[in-house]
Amino acid sequence: MTFDEGQGYAVLATLAAPLLAALILVFIPGTQKMAVRYVAAFFGAVMLGLSIYVFVAYQVDGEQIQMSLKWVWVENTAFLGKDGIVLNLAVDGISAPMALLTGVVAFAGTITSWKINYRNKDFFILYFILLAGVYGTFFSFDLFFWFFFYELAVMPLYLLIGVWGSTRKEYGAMKLTLMLVGGSVLIWIGIFAVFNEANLGTFDMQRLFAAGNDGTLSPTFQKVFFPMFVVGCGVLAALWPFHTWSPDGHMSAPTAVSMVHAGVLMKLGAFGIIRLGIQMLPVGAEFWMPGLMVLGVTGAVYGATAALTQRDFKLISGYSSVSHMGYVLMGLATMNQIGITGAVLQMFSHGVMTALVFLMIGALYDQAHTRDMKDFGGIAKVMPMWVVFYAIAGLANVGLPGLSGFTAEFHIFVGTFQTYPVFGALAIFAAALAATYMLRMFSMVFFGPFNPRWKDLKDLTPLEAMAGALLIASIVVMGVWWAPFTDRIGTTVAALPGVVG
Amino acid sequence: MGAEQAWLLAAIPAGVFFVLALFGRYLPRGGDYLGVAAIGASFVLFFFVAADFLSFYDFEAHKTFITESISWSEIGNFKLRQGIHVDAITIVMFAVITTVSLMVNIFSVGYMKGEPRYYWFFAVLQLFVASMLLLVMADNLLLVYISWELVGVCSFLLIGFYWEKRSATEAAKKAFITTRIGDVGLLIGIILLWKETGTFDIQQIIHAAEAGEIGQTYLFVSIMFVFLGCMGKSAQFPFHVWLPDAMEGPTPVSALIHAATMVVAGVYLTARLLPIFEAADGALLVVTIVGLTTALLASLIAFAQTDIKRVLAYSTVGKLGLMFVALGAGSPAAGLFLLMTHAFVKALLFLGSGSVILGTHHNQEMDKLGGLWKKMPITGTTFFVATLALAGLPPLAMFWSEDELFASVNHEWGLWALVLAMLAVFATAIFMVRLFIRTFAGEPRDRQVHEHARETPLVMTGPLVFLCVLAVVSGLFVFNGVGSALGFPGGIGEFVFLEEPERYAIDWTLAGISLAVAVAGVLIGAYVYWGNSLVRSTRLAEAMPRLYAALRNKFYIDEMYQYVIDRGVLGVSYVVSWFDRYVVNDTGVDGSAQVTGYSGSILKYLQTGRVPNYAMAITLGVVGLTVAGLLVRA
Repeated sequence: MTFDEGQGYAVLATLAAPLLAALILVFIPGTQKMAVRYVAAFFGAVMLGLSIYVFVAYQVDGEQIQMSLKWVWVENTAFLGKDGIVLNLAVDGISAPMALLTGVVAFAGTITSWKINYRNKDFFILYFILLAGVYGTFFSFDLFFWFFFYELAVMPLYLLIGVWGSTRKEYGAMKLTLMLVGGSVLIWIGIFAVFNEANLGTFDMQRLFAAGNDGTLSPTFQKVFFPMFVVGCGVLAALWPFHTWSPDGHMSAPTAVSMVHAGVLMKLGAFGIIRLGIQMLPVGAEFWMPGLMVLGVTGAVYGATAALTQRDFKLISGYSSVSHMGYVLMGLATMNQIGITGAVLQMFSHGVMTALVFLMIGALYDQAHTRDMKDFGGIAKVMPMWVVFYAIAGLANVGLPGLSGFTAEFHIFVGTFQTYPVFGALAIFAAALAATYMLRMFSMVFFGPFNPRWKDLKDLTPLEAMAGALLIASIVVMGVWWAPFTDRIGTTVAALPGVVG
Repeated sequence: MGAEQAWLLAAIPAGVFFVLALFGRYLPRGGDYLGVAAIGASFVLFFFVAADFLSFYDFEAHKTFITESISWSEIGNFKLRQGIHVDAITIVMFAVITTVSLMVNIFSVGYMKGEPRYYWFFAVLQLFVASMLLLVMADNLLLVYISWELVGVCSFLLIGFYWEKRSATEAAKKAFITTRIGDVGLLIGIILLWKETGTFDIQQIIHAAEAGEIGQTYLFVSIMFVFLGCMGKSAQFPFHVWLPDAMEGPTPVSALIHAATMVVAGVYLTARLLPIFEAADGALLVVTIVGLTTALLASLIAFAQTDIKRVLAYSTVGKLGLMFVALGAGSPAAGLFLLMTHAFVKALLFLGSGSVILGTHHNQEMDKLGGLWKKMPITGTTFFVATLALAGLPPLAMFWSEDELFASVNHEWGLWALVLAMLAVFATAIFMVRLFIRTFAGEPRDRQVHEHARETPLVMTGPLVFLCVLAVVSGLFVFNGVGSALGFPGGIGEFVFLEEPERYAIDWTLAGISLAVAVAGVLIGAYVYWGNSLVRSTRLAEAMPRLYAALRNKFYIDEMYQYVIDRGVLGVSYVVSWFDRYVVNDTGVDGSAQVTGYSGSILKYLQTGRVPNYAMAITLGVVGLTVAGLLVRA
């Protein structure tokens, strides 16, 4: 094992915390529901603390890749070279904010799940395994482990939705899992192809990145396999037209799972496009990016348009996620520094605001047992804090300056205008559509005459308020003072192959 | 304190917003005194800023400004800075915003008394004013856009303040979405200008435009996109529909929106970027035409409205149109002067109508009012002065600003534009007199309402009197003598200008015509509606039933939009949702699952589990492959 000035431990600890949590939970009897909750909340807090540490400790002026840790796993077997499969963890300017995002959303999701009563031990075990997968994917610089963690993050979803979900949960869970696994198959094939083509006997991603740059991975090879990675990862990022699991999956998923899923998991897809696509296959990226741009714009406009007439809260969020992830893909497809930085900003921004939205939807649904917006009206009378929190999330969604959505979208728009002004204009137009569907929901649900059927609704519990406040704080910080994010992301993005200034 | 610290003007109310929003409900009186104190502080600080600014203002060279900025973020070459820019335009806007906001705040203490969410009203009011102040001192277009949107969201919250009422919620939504559509243009325009100049800094962009570094067509297109945003915010045709509905908010909010914040943002931004409009051939003509169209359209519609606030709203739309006409004539002085005088007069009118509404226990239909002057002497008198001022009678404020406007329009575009602008002023005079007579004069139309009417308390009449004084004297800022006494010699024409400072000189012919137009309007209005009698006006309406119906229904523009939204936009959404559900999902995704399942259900019959079947299959396979191999080789 080799460490980088000891800080590699921080990364390892961040990854180990959820695994340790899952392990400890295994030994707590399922009847001890309170003990389960305390352990979960404790580890949620630990993960949040470690994530903040990783984000802050990342040196803006330092090396691109910091806090690295290598732990040789399998070596010198038949087809693997000296360092064949290595638990190779590190952080760069893109994964640092993603780790922070994971910590924030994970903690918020953990305390939101406090009220889960049905088999909460099993719920939390799966939940923490999923989070370990997420951290692992963000930190791994070894292709084998990257994929291992990626799958570790996706698989628990099936049970989490299928067991603890609602509204056609078996259908939603099955569709989501099958589509994501379909994507994984493409990635898996691609990974073997890259390993074979590079012929270095290693899964070390940094060496493979170099191979992609110096021509070891031939241009033809890159052009053939780039779409496989983009589609494979894109499924998870709700790439149009492989997005339909998103509305249905969110509709079925329990609150915390929706939060983590929309908040963090969808980012894994976009993250995969950066790591496996742009970094490993730069020639392929350059060739295919206009195509990705078209799909991104389509998703952005299509999602916003479809959201205009939905009546279920979660469908609105599902479609608006399609739209906002469309922005992420657009940002990536610009292949310039501002646009890709904007895409990563949007990954963070969409994560925290969507987590907040799902938190709020859950807080209402658990009491009202319906999500049909037409049933509501004047809810601000009984749930004022809920309305304020939801409104902040909604306004961030709309791209209101001062909240994170604007920061991210602004960078994406500017980046897109550099190369594709017409698509940029369309994206800005989609943001106006976002205002329309959000305000429509506000006026239908929050405002208007109070429907007395809901007089017994309770406002947010202290735990929900705490989770919400944490997410709002993230939204506001990024919306007002975005330099800590752009400093980290920008320099790393500048070093990506094929990216122009 | 110097002008460099002008950001404090916005920072103080912004800080109080957070205090009130979080703790206001626990404070005695909802913390309204904090609100008044915050804006009062901004009002006082304004004088320090203005004094400091004027102390080093170079009246020989002109165009003095102060700018302060700090680095905000940096991605490679994409460096963003945030800062403030204080020049003559900013000072004028500061004067208008702080004065009117302070009056509105004080008035609200009386008007909003006993309303639910009292603290919240004052909280949002602070943010509203702070965003507007930030907007007028922003030194770059990114900060302009940020504060612009904040102004928009505050207006959303305030218009929808009575959210229990469906109509208020709908009006708030309409205001936000309509202006947001304009803002799509604004953001596109800003990014287009950035793309060509590589900066968001307003002065640098102006410099580049003036130096001809941007291609003509490109400049025209991008500034027109920016202008779309200005049209949306300033309720210009075809975006004007939101403003009349916005009166659903509490009346002090209407005063603020119509006079000092929100709608003047578009006028301000156009004035700020006027050198770019000037540099782009044809841009000023577009501004003029939009302004004239709006002014005439709104003045006509106002004739047939019966709600006091709605009439005032259309008069605002019309006057905003005239402000754009002034800017279109290349005269920021006339535009901002009109903005300022109009702000005082219109704030007075709205607060006056608020006083009427409160004094008559929430009545704002003219059909139920009348004869209120005696019951509400202060409100009645100040409203009377404001009516005449808005009608454009000398020596009241708006006479002078409209005179400036006529002079510059005549100079720039000639007779046709002058006649149209005067027509709008003429119409305004008529319907304002109508409004006054039907509310305050003649016999009360509803005895019961009249019986219970009473004058409002000092906290409300005080601001009315103060604004009334300004409505009388603020027109004098145009004169050299007044300007010299206050520290800006040459009057407003030498303080704010585009190319050359212009000292105001009365053109007696023009002033005479303008006076005649205003007097004629007032007299006709008085003749038709004298004594709050509807005989003559009803006859008029019956003579032209179709025109009357069209005016009454605001030329059906709202209905048209509604139709387009319902059938067009929502229709597309239904189609997309249907496509997503049935084509992408049910056919594409579920379909492939079904195909898999179906083929599995057929293929499973091959799995019989009987050894002879498998042996047979193997044999046939081997034979088949051998034959095939042989054939290929042959």
